Amino acid sequence: MRHGVFPARFAPLLTSVAAIAAAMVLGGLFLAIRGKDPIAAYGMLASRGLGTSYGITETLIRMAPLLIVSAGLLISLRAGVWNIGIDGQLMVGALFAGVAAAAVAGQIANPLMWVIAALAGMGGGLLWALVPGILRVRWGLNEIITTLMMNYVALNVTSWLVKGPVKDPSVVPPQTVLIPREMRLPAIPETGVHVGLVVGLIVVVLVTILFRHTVIGFMLDVVGRNRQAAIHAGMPVNRLTLVALLASGALAGLAGANDILGVKGLFQGNWNPGYGFAAFALVYLARLNSLWIIPFAYFLSFLAIGGEMMARPLGIPTYFVEMLEGLMLICFAVATYFERMRSPFGHQEEVETGPANAGEAPEALVGEPLLEPVAQPTGGRP
Amino acid sequence: MNRSGRRQTGDGQITPAAALSPHRPSPITHHPVTRSPIVQMRDISKRFGPVLANDRISLDLWPGEVHAVLGENGAGKTTLMNVLAGMYQPDAGTIRIAGEEVQITSPADALRRGIGTVYQHFTLVPNLSILENVVLGAEGGFLVDLGAAEAKVASMLGEFGLDVSPQTEIRHLALGQRQRIEIIKVLFRGTRVLLLDEPTSVLTPGEVTSLLELLRRLRDQGVAVVLITHKLGEALAVSDRVTILRGGRAVGDLGPDVMSGANRESVRQRIVEQMFGGSQPSGSHLPTASAQNRVIPRNEESRLQDVHGGGELRFFAGAQNGMSPAELLSLRGISTSGDRGSPPLHDLSLDLNSGEVFGIAGVDGNGQKELGEVIAGQRPVTSGKILLNGVDITNRGVAVATRLGIGYVTDDRLHEGSVAGSSITDNVALKSIGRKPFSNGFWLNRRAMEEQARRLITEFDVKTPGPDTAIGTLSGGNIQKLLLARELALEPKLLICNKPTTGLDLRTARFVIQSLRDQADAGKVVVLISSELDELLEISDRIGVMYNGQLVAVIPRAAADLETIGNLMLGGTRRPRRVPA
Repeated sequence: MRHGVFPARFAPLLTSVAAIAAAMVLGGLFLAIRGKDPIAAYGMLASRGLGTSYGITETLIRMAPLLIVSAGLLISLRAGVWNIGIDGQLMVGALFAGVAAAAVAGQIANPLMWVIAALAGMGGGLLWALVPGILRVRWGLNEIITTLMMNYVALNVTSWLVKGPVKDPSVVPPQTVLIPREMRLPAIPETGVHVGLVVGLIVVVLVTILFRHTVIGFMLDVVGRNRQAAIHAGMPVNRLTLVALLASGALAGLAGANDILGVKGLFQGNWNPGYGFAAFALVYLARLNSLWIIPFAYFLSFLAIGGEMMARPLGIPTYFVEMLEGLMLICFAVATYFERMRSPFGHQEEVETGPANAGEAPEALVGEPLLEPVAQPTGGRP
Repeated sequence: MNRSGRRQTGDGQITPAAALSPHRPSPITHHPVTRSPIVQMRDISKRFGPVLANDRISLDLWPGEVHAVLGENGAGKTTLMNVLAGMYQPDAGTIRIAGEEVQITSPADALRRGIGTVYQHFTLVPNLSILENVVLGAEGGFLVDLGAAEAKVASMLGEFGLDVSPQTEIRHLALGQRQRIEIIKVLFRGTRVLLLDEPTSVLTPGEVTSLLELLRRLRDQGVAVVLITHKLGEALAVSDRVTILRGGRAVGDLGPDVMSGANRESVRQRIVEQMFGGSQPSGSHLPTASAQNRVIPRNEESRLQDVHGGGELRFFAGAQNGMSPAELLSLRGISTSGDRGSPPLHDLSLDLNSGEVFGIAGVDGNGQKELGEVIAGQRPVTSGKILLNGVDITNRGVAVATRLGIGYVTDDRLHEGSVAGSSITDNVALKSIGRKPFSNGFWLNRRAMEEQARRLITEFDVKTPGPDTAIGTLSGGNIQKLLLARELALEPKLLICNKPTTGLDLRTARFVIQSLRDQADAGKVVVLISSELDELLEISDRIGVMYNGQLVAVIPRAAADLETIGNLMLGGTRRPRRVPA
């Protein structure tokens, strides 16, 4: 399967592409029902998003945080940990980065300031992931619930902080001290895209190396695919689970820092770009393969930017793009069902006639381990 | 193992089993025993991808007969039965029921036509009563008439020797009893053809005996009973007719004339030959393959003698290898907390000596798996000490135990022993990924991993396209070989194997058992947890029996016999108790 045969290796992508196509068709139907011409809409989406340098620049700028967040989410999902709290971790990271950057801006060299802000952002995201992480590892609490709830806590805590303790006293709206434009991340030469994109690409490459070439990446994969096997093999399963959650939290925080340093220059109350949901769609469409994140991140960024650009002229709400993302996930789930039906792996149990697996439902083997985040207790019977 | 063979008279005639059951009207519908087959399967073929699981198999089932379908794993037994049970549609061939050609479209359809299946894995709802379970799905319409059903179920329970009320919840019943409820459940629906898939694999020796008796009784009531098994002893003890499958084909058919014939020895020889004899499977590179080939029938023989009650058992001379006992591992007063229905271990002490195979017998769920996990460091203890070479390793975890030379092959190959979707290479490296040669602790050495995978594939004769293949796509026997190979490659001083031969064909099972004996002969300790008593008796130096979380007895091989062990497994005392026939 992994032998570099082109079609076999890229076959999983067909499922994603099919899901995207189906979602576009369904989305088009919605547009038609609302009396809009879907062909014109998609045409404008493509021409504005891909055909204008403004569209491309904006797409690339938006891509940076999406790459970082998705790489982090991929780490946790590969390890079988469902981090639904990306948005909260990102907000806290952004706030930390904004405060740290403003505190040292102008007093030290810019690059050093960026590093400090980035580290502060990662620390913030990590801190926010630490709570669900400990709850999960120590008491077995389901991280889907805790990370999700931590989002609401983050939203309110950060908006309280920017209204009080870390507010820029010189302005009225709740926000942190603005970092002057000249102290923010510079653009990549000859473009209008800040270097955050490069950081994003580096993060994706590092995550790829992590899973392909390091022991810890190997172990995270094992924990995600079969927790009981990881326990059996003597891997520090709890520690790995925590590491996965913290790493994805830290990267979410880094993405927050990226937006502060590259685009916004400050943290505002109630600011929530909602990258978390896009990242879920993205990581699944990329079939949990880190390098495939890059093209899909471009595609989703293009959709978002193109959607914004066509919204006004055509009167289609920007929510339409979010709806498309949702449809993609649904279509993707359906497509993987059919994919599993067709896979030779799915027939495994039927060929086997041994007593070890006779009479079992055929799903037992293939049952997507990633869809089962809550693991068995250590040492328990399966 | 069952001792029903005793009931055979000198010339091999099976005594009419009717004599076993009291002469009273049976609530199970009687069907006239006609002398024509009730089911005729003709030239059934079924293909799964590249595998031709059934190749033009023909099979007749007669009312009032027990028909054993014998074969190694992968011979196509279960596929054939699933075709008859409506789970699969055959690619070619016809099925006639009572002379009429039919298409069995679903399991429900099969039930309607009088074909009922009892699977290995039970399908009862633990929190519902016997009555509710039996009636479940059989209600004709919207309303359930439990009253009428209760009388019938109660009388069936009596008939089946179950002294329980129909209102008893399933969870209170033992496995053997649950299996009878499964059988009642399908008979309740008017089943004339009863398919049983490896029905004895979950049973204790005593339960096996009574199951076989029950099958005889059903046979005498005109039911066509199909027994799918790879246990030759059981097939011989109870069957009127035997069909032998091999590589998807029917290679032998023995009718009642042969089965009740004078020379049972020759019948057995003939079956063994048809199952295993002739040409070797292609692609076998085992240096000892031919030697193993000779071993198989012999072991089968010992199994059989055992079924026939009291034949002499052969076992390896290695069991008396004269090595001076040197204590390697010592468990002192181990207790654990139980989880999810598994009993906690209680104050368990045990010393294991270098060079021995220590067998652990017990009915499933009496703490054997837990004991294995405790030694492997996979299950924490709440009190007591574990000493390895005098060093305290209590609750130090799997990684430490592995590094100090303790290996553990779990009984759950697919869900614990391996990561099914990962490659053979990754699975082979799984347990020592943090060490050389597979890594330097941080960076993986993929080349070393793959080399190791290739080496083990060759050495253990694993049938696979290559090391990149997902391990979950291999057969059970090949996965087992890899898991054993993985442990052996770590050169453990102590190796725990939980049910290492479950579901393996005889040749692979022989290979695994021989490998374990070889380990002990090389001075290692092997702890063999098994539900196959023959296997335990064959290679163990000592046998410990577990019951309810305790090691109730440790018996030297020379003093061990099936009856003693079987009795202890069921919570009996050491003195063998005669089970009334």
